[in-house]
Amino acid sequence: MASVAPTYYTNQVQVTDEAASFSPSVLEEMDSHLAKYPSERKRSALIPLLFVIQRERGYVDNAGVNFLAKFLDLEVTDVWETVTFYSMFNLRKIGRHHIQICKTLSCRVMGEPEITEHVCNKLGIYVGETTADEKYTVSLVECLGSCGTAPMMQIGFDYHEDLTTEKVDRILDSLK
Amino acid sequence: MSEPIKVTINGQEFETEKGARLIDVCREQAFNIPSFCYYQDLALQASCRMCLVRIEKMPKLQTSCTITCTDGMIVTTQSPEIEKAQRAMGEFLLANHPLDCPVCDRGGECELQEMIFDWGDVEERFVESKNATPEKFLSPIVANDPQRCILCKRCTRVCDEWMGEDAIEAGNRGVNTVIGTYGGWLDCSQCGNCIEVCPTGTLLDGTFRHETRPWELNNTISTDTYSSDGMQISIGARGDFVHRIAARDRYVDGLNGEFLDVKARFGHGFINHPDRLKTPLIRYKKGGKLIPTTWDEAIHYVANKFKEFGKDIGVIASARLTNESIFTLKRFATEVAGSENYAVSDAYDLSPVFDNLSVPLCTHKEIRHAKTILLIGGEPEEEQTFTAKQIRQAVRNGGAKLIVVHDTPIRLTAQASQFIHVNPNSLDAFALAFADQADDTITKKLGAAASEIDEVLKTIGETTGDFIIMFGRNLSPEAQALIANAAGNFASENRRVLLHPLPLYNNSVGANDMMAGKKSVADVLINSRALLIGGSLSQPAKLTDGYLERKEFIVVQELFATATTAYADVVLPAASFAEVDGTYTNNTGFVQRVRQAIEPIHQAKADWIITSMIAREMGMDFGYNYSATAAFKALADSVPAYAGLRYPHLKDESKPVQAKYQIAGEKDLSKELGELRRRVEAITERSDKIIETPKVGHKLHRLTTMTEKTPQFHLLAHGNPKPENLLVSPMVQFNLDGTPKIAEKAEAASVGDRISDVKRSAGTMIDGKV
Amino acid sequence: MEIKAIGCEPLQLKRVHLENSHTLKVYQENDGYKWLRKAMDMSPDAIINEVKASVLRGRGGAGFPTGMKWSFVPKDSPKQKYIVCNADESEPGTFKDRYLMERDPHALIEGMLIAAFALNSQTCYIYTRGEYRYLIDIMDEAIEEARAANLVGKNILGSDFSCEVYTHTGAGAYICGEETALLSSLEGYRGHPRMKPPFPAVEGLYASPTVVNNVETLTAVPQIIEMGGVAWRDLGTEKSGGTKLWSVSGHVKKPGVYELPMGYADMERFIMEDCGGIRNGHNLKGVIPGGSSVYIMRADDVIGKKVLMDYEGLVAAGSLVGSGGFIVIDETVDIVDSTKNLTEFYKHESCGWCTPCREGTDWLVKIFNRIASGGGRPEDAQLILDLVDNIEGKSFCALGDAAAWAIQGAIKRFPEDFMPYLNGEKTTSIEPKAKTV
Ligand SMILES: Cc1cc2nc3c(=O)[nH]c(=O)nc-3n(C[C@H](O)[C@H](O)[C@H](O)COP(=O)(O)O)c2cc1C
Ligand code: SF4
Ligand code: FES
Repeated sequence: MASVAPTYYTNQVQVTDEAASFSPSVLEEMDSHLAKYPSERKRSALIPLLFVIQRERGYVDNAGVNFLAKFLDLEVTDVWETVTFYSMFNLRKIGRHHIQICKTLSCRVMGEPEITEHVCNKLGIYVGETTADEKYTVSLVECLGSCGTAPMMQIGFDYHEDLTTEKVDRILDSLK
Repeated sequence: MSEPIKVTINGQEFETEKGARLIDVCREQAFNIPSFCYYQDLALQASCRMCLVRIEKMPKLQTSCTITCTDGMIVTTQSPEIEKAQRAMGEFLLANHPLDCPVCDRGGECELQEMIFDWGDVEERFVESKNATPEKFLSPIVANDPQRCILCKRCTRVCDEWMGEDAIEAGNRGVNTVIGTYGGWLDCSQCGNCIEVCPTGTLLDGTFRHETRPWELNNTISTDTYSSDGMQISIGARGDFVHRIAARDRYVDGLNGEFLDVKARFGHGFINHPDRLKTPLIRYKKGGKLIPTTWDEAIHYVANKFKEFGKDIGVIASARLTNESIFTLKRFATEVAGSENYAVSDAYDLSPVFDNLSVPLCTHKEIRHAKTILLIGGEPEEEQTFTAKQIRQAVRNGGAKLIVVHDTPIRLTAQASQFIHVNPNSLDAFALAFADQADDTITKKLGAAASEIDEVLKTIGETTGDFIIMFGRNLSPEAQALIANAAGNFASENRRVLLHPLPLYNNSVGANDMMAGKKSVADVLINSRALLIGGSLSQPAKLTDGYLERKEFIVVQELFATATTAYADVVLPAASFAEVDGTYTNNTGFVQRVRQAIEPIHQAKADWIITSMIAREMGMDFGYNYSATAAFKALADSVPAYAGLRYPHLKDESKPVQAKYQIAGEKDLSKELGELRRRVEAITERSDKIIETPKVGHKLHRLTTMTEKTPQFHLLAHGNPKPENLLVSPMVQFNLDGTPKIAEKAEAASVGDRISDVKRSAGTMIDGKV
Repeated sequence: MEIKAIGCEPLQLKRVHLENSHTLKVYQENDGYKWLRKAMDMSPDAIINEVKASVLRGRGGAGFPTGMKWSFVPKDSPKQKYIVCNADESEPGTFKDRYLMERDPHALIEGMLIAAFALNSQTCYIYTRGEYRYLIDIMDEAIEEARAANLVGKNILGSDFSCEVYTHTGAGAYICGEETALLSSLEGYRGHPRMKPPFPAVEGLYASPTVVNNVETLTAVPQIIEMGGVAWRDLGTEKSGGTKLWSVSGHVKKPGVYELPMGYADMERFIMEDCGGIRNGHNLKGVIPGGSSVYIMRADDVIGKKVLMDYEGLVAAGSLVGSGGFIVIDETVDIVDSTKNLTEFYKHESCGWCTPCREGTDWLVKIFNRIASGGGRPEDAQLILDLVDNIEGKSFCALGDAAAWAIQGAIKRFPEDFMPYLNGEKTTSIEPKAKTV
């Protein structure tokens, strides 16, 4: 069989016209974001809404982008240019728990390398990878504003500070 | 902005205007300043940091593209400090730029290459490996080598500001920034302006890819053969083969700068197409075959036959032909056949407009700076693309108000400050309202509220500056006459009113000028026994076929075998616009040159030469001596609006020459008015408005005799399908009807970018993000 | 972690230790919103004059006088005016705004409302970095509490002054701390900085007059109204008024947020005594006093030098106050490694708009990688300094300059750390698990 180039590369995203739908309560939440901005400046709500999409769908998927473009009267490419700029949005599926270890100076000098190595060894993956059971993804991120309590990591939106390898074990073990 | 001030540049004092852009002023004074991101009339960007200068009393070097001149400003554009900075920017831009100029289509006309060569003496300090990304395709027409990109973002700005499409954008961040789209596929009108303005080989003409090196092309300045905007183009030919068409250089401006549309830029495949007629053809017997013959034989045969018909010969000219050819056809009718049976095949008759002009035609520059634009019908974004671009810029950059009156929510309505959505086919009723003849029945037929019309009048009333009225082809002749005549009523001391008709063909206006006293095609078809047709008929076959079948003798001058030549007794191979000298008159009345880029293909001849050969054989010498110059002189001496014009006057397209049309002044149009009322009253009232906005390219991408000769248009016409593999040209992944070819084949056909290479470099494309 | 004031009465940190300090109740029990009432009895100009008199300088990093910034807003402009709080806090080493918002959210709201009243604005946005999601929840709650108490919304406290306060979230981009990039981001675009002029005060959010201020700047405003501008200034020095929060991190025994009066003397005492000194068994090697973007100082620039901790004092000592992100490092830190780390940060955070920053930071990271893995050459020091010089002052916004300063400082002040690499005598082992960004 002829080898085929990986899809993510040849077609960065498989784009279809299908748009996601959301429950009334999520739509209400979206409207509450929209309400913060002047009505002719709907685009302002793009980033807050992308977070909602990411939470609801696991990552910013094609159907979510289509939905947002319609919701905010934008072109999909407008959404694309914004979403790819910000490092907190994932355009591909990641694990349920996104472990983000701060790698910037204060954390680094306070022991980030040991923490990273420990986490990776424990989960058996490299930085940037997702475990086979799609439970964990490990990333290194830039300064998260916990320098005084370094080293630290953020899992999802939760801060875990003053880390030691034992503390990391406890935290990871408590995750479902 | 006209306050005169003085600035000192490199020790010399210059006078300029307050608020003038420093980079422009420097360049006018021949202090060349390198720049990539700066582009006149596009949003400022100031990102390339090439244009640095030193301004006294300011900290740091300043970007001259963002500085507006103030009185007494002292500027240095050349110094060791500035040279170091500019060299540094060049060095940064080259850091990740693949030095593959020898295989780059842009090599030889790349602004980056030029700049680096100009500096010379560049030492490569970058020893680390580059961030590699392979070449790929964004559409059948746009090839893309992202690694060559210097992120000047001219492409995204023209896409947004000129085209209003926003199809291409920057994604990712920092050094990973790429120009592209969501999903990697470009679904747009494929105007190619992004390719044109790209200073490097990042966006490439997919129809020209790897064909030849730019410096091997002979470039001839000419005029577009598709749209009535009369865009200036540069035909690039090597030997007798036209390889590409590009716009003229933006600094040696034609009226359109670097702007072109998909047809003007890429629809040139027909010129050297193998289907071009090679020799004259005669069908000796009705129902028989067309048989190749010599020119002598063909002309002799035609002349002898025509002699039998005399006044019964009808002449029809296509509005695509040059003025010289149309004029010669008309002379053939009047002087050789002695008949008044001549017509232009363009169904849209411009004479009601030109006979009733109460205000001048506007130019494209005036559209760009207009204050209010009223568009009645038409679809400039598909037909008069340059007009559409000027409208968009007038609105976006100039704050103009656009009022659209249309039965379809065309894409331009997105720019409109007011959109009157009228009932299908009821635009004639708006003409009545415009001429202050509105009443309840009329607004009802129109499907708009009286208040909407009042608002239009209010906006016009508040306009100081230029007010431009444009109208498309979906108005009846009476309605056009009325609008052309009523326009003058809106003029006032501080408001100029200008008219801009939107005909379809490149030389619709010229054809109208050349064929004064013309009949309709139907009249000519009815009142003749024999026909001389220059170019094919553009009317739908169901209207013409019955007539053509019954004609005793038909001669057609054509490039290709068409539905019309199927009825011809003699077909004479005509030369395309790239093979002839001549003129076209555009929708602003500019008479612009068509210049010969290549020798006529095979045995083709210019249309006017063919016609005069027949005339001469019939005993009438038009006296042109087969010189286009002489043909134009004869034309200018006979058509009043062109009086006194000669080719030398038309030499410089940056200063185009407008034909002088008679302004009619007040005219009694009660007859037209009555007719129009009757028409409007006959419109059936309806409530089913058209609500769908037409798709981008629905007219531009349509296959025609000419565009279908460029293979890429077939994929566009079939919905521009996105291929599985973006690294390989879609042209080898699809059949022309848009159905995919089998995968193995596509891969086998890929040259260079092997799949294994792809895998290796895949990591760099994904932006380090999960 | 320590949170305390040294050398002055706690002002910014007055309430942070109280139980439930984030609630309206506790805030009001401690004079909260009193100063808003007072301000609303003053004229807008009088408020601006107090702020001017206080010599409050922007705490976001640039140190621009706040009163002056406010006075640039065209008050008679018919356009909406906006107050935007810059809570993007992404400068490495800085975390003070986080604790202010976590423990004293109402102080920020009160500060914004006073600013809004002074500048005739009806809308305030708090742009918080996306990672601080829990702070956004705290702020939202505080805003709701304040709204319920008629402190936010229509006809505040029965007056005809109405003002809305909204939170907005970023999504992971340091550049969005730059005020114009922040506005682009707030409008839903890529976080690219914009051309200045026009300055935000004239054409900012939605092309309307906008004041962008740091969290700490805004929380200082109620204090200024309380004490009067001159009295507030006198807490500090003539040119650097008031008190300032320092986020202390790194190898000190007691990292944390410290409130010091401007002009606190001296830095050595601060490190060695107030912050508990360097961790056991180690010595001070250097300090980055104002967030990663400023010049690093050597221990000998600090020890025995009586460095004054204010804008002028740090400039005299060859560095900057910046955002007050005070990173202390001991001799275990290899400056080549730490500079590489910061360069990677700037490369990752460069928005990609302008050539020198985008290409320059990428190139520098490549050079640092090469050096760290044993490919150093003696001429690399000169090469790096030259590249940095080609970025500094030529980039579109100050991020390029920041990257340049961070590297310049390190290579100029710690040549002894660089030389072994450049002479091929040292390499760092390549980290096993951490792939670079
Ligand atoms: C690259 C860059 C990042 C910045 N990040 C922040 C930040 O995270 N928080 C902040 O308050 N100011 C930041 N600033 C400073 C802002 O541009 C601006 O000066 C500040 O918000 C103004 O508020 P202030 O006058 O209260 O300091 C940054 C500036 C630059 C150039
Ligand atoms: S210096 Fe240039 S590339 Fe860097 S963040 Fe600023 S604008 Fe963006
Ligand atoms: S031309 Fe001025 S920065 Fe690019």
